[in-house]
Amino acid sequence: MRFIGYVFSEAFRSLWRSKLSSFLSSLTTGFALFLLGISFLVSVNLGYIYTVAEQQMEIQAYIIKDATAEQISAAVERVQGIPGVSTVKYVSKEDALEELKLMFKDKASVLDSLKEENPLPASIRVKTTGVDEIDAVVAEIQTLDIIDDVIYQEEVSRRMMSIGRAIQYVSLGGMVAVGAVSIMVIGNSIRLTIDSRRHEIAVMKLVGATDGFVVGPFILEGVVIGIVGSILGTFFAVGIYNWLFERLYEFIPFMPMYVLDTQSKLQMFGIMAITGIVVGAAGSVLSVRRHLKV
Amino acid sequence: MISLRNVSKDYGGSTKALESVTLAIEKGEFVFIVGPSGAGKSTLIKLLYREETPSTGQVVVLGKDLAKLRRREIPFLRRRIGVVFQDFKLLEDKTVGENISFALEVTGTPTREIKKRVAQVLNLVGLKDRRDAYPNELSGGEQQRIAIARALVRNPDVLLADEPSGNLDPKTAHEIFSLLERANMYGTTVVVATHAQDMVNLLKKRVIELRNGTVVRDERRGAYSS
Repeated sequence: MRFIGYVFSEAFRSLWRSKLSSFLSSLTTGFALFLLGISFLVSVNLGYIYTVAEQQMEIQAYIIKDATAEQISAAVERVQGIPGVSTVKYVSKEDALEELKLMFKDKASVLDSLKEENPLPASIRVKTTGVDEIDAVVAEIQTLDIIDDVIYQEEVSRRMMSIGRAIQYVSLGGMVAVGAVSIMVIGNSIRLTIDSRRHEIAVMKLVGATDGFVVGPFILEGVVIGIVGSILGTFFAVGIYNWLFERLYEFIPFMPMYVLDTQSKLQMFGIMAITGIVVGAAGSVLSVRRHLKV
Repeated sequence: MISLRNVSKDYGGSTKALESVTLAIEKGEFVFIVGPSGAGKSTLIKLLYREETPSTGQVVVLGKDLAKLRRREIPFLRRRIGVVFQDFKLLEDKTVGENISFALEVTGTPTREIKKRVAQVLNLVGLKDRRDAYPNELSGGEQQRIAIARALVRNPDVLLADEPSGNLDPKTAHEIFSLLERANMYGTTVVVATHAQDMVNLLKKRVIELRNGTVVRDERRGAYSS
């Protein structure tokens, strides 16, 4: 208990005593974590754009002409039961015609002749939870006997799948790379601070301080710097993102961009704080250890 | 209390810092280690608080064979040994009081006890009104007295001093040596490596002379040179 009290009072005293260098370390840490945060946001956005695109993928299953209403509703129910299916929508012949009219807008009159004999088939439109499920869902739908033909963007869905995988790798790789750089930047700034205090460490060892006694306050200092840095980093990253968001929205209103909600802010802060704390503490231990063998 | 048997220390240079040194120091003794620069005085002191380990031979301090001491046992040995250096080795960003109490904090001494002991030891070295000063506000002699206070605050069994008056004028040096002598009178074994000829001659203590890493003289109530 006394040891904990000692560690806290020593750590905060020393942070306060060298206010400027503590602040600069926090700022450096904050900047490194800011970069990590930005790479997190880029990866979230890539994922978001992908999800938006994924949700627009639709399977159209055309229904044979002489299907009865009961058969159709039974089929809709069965499709709903297929694993991986998110929404199922029945589009009647009339609905299909309305849609077509909407597409032609002012030239809709050309379709008037179709009124008597509507050639458009009724269909079931299915969206899946992801592109990975499309193949299986299509195969399942094709087994229904009232289904005439199934149309979906086979090539597009295949590409989407590989793009999705690429996005995962790229954003993970990016975060790992930026994470490694942050670790080096933070670790280096801590090492410089501790090297400047090696005399102090030597004296502590000389009067019989155990390694724990010497290292304890340094670990806490590293942790505090990590926490302050991650708060600064989150602050910068959210600020820049929101600024960019507004600018981009003005130019490209349809650009799908992820709106930062509290949960994702917390998630980002969490990633930064964990990185900051772990690197701060580990960096302190490793740097101090070099001076402990006195 | 302290014994060296056939101790050699080789730093890897062409000559050895110490060669086949054998000596014993009893509890309560006051011993001067003298000799020219580079004779091995500092190395001998460093071996005694386990900053260095011998290349060959055996060093026993307070009943512990220092070569066999595990790394985590070193702090506990050092808590029974006070060390004073030529350059004081005070922490510049701690006050006088904090510098001294630090030596007790590391042993987990209760705060009230620390306060009491710090006041006592500051009184002993005659600097009780400088408790809240920082080392750079003190003269060299005062800083060395603080370093001695820090070494004595734990009532060590052994007090080691490496050129304690090296940076000080003769009058101040005299004060420092009287403090060491006083510590010795309270029962602490004192080992001082020094060039301070006058002090060695004045105090008439045991003198061990080193030359080129070997003991060339070991004399009761000796003088700086034979």
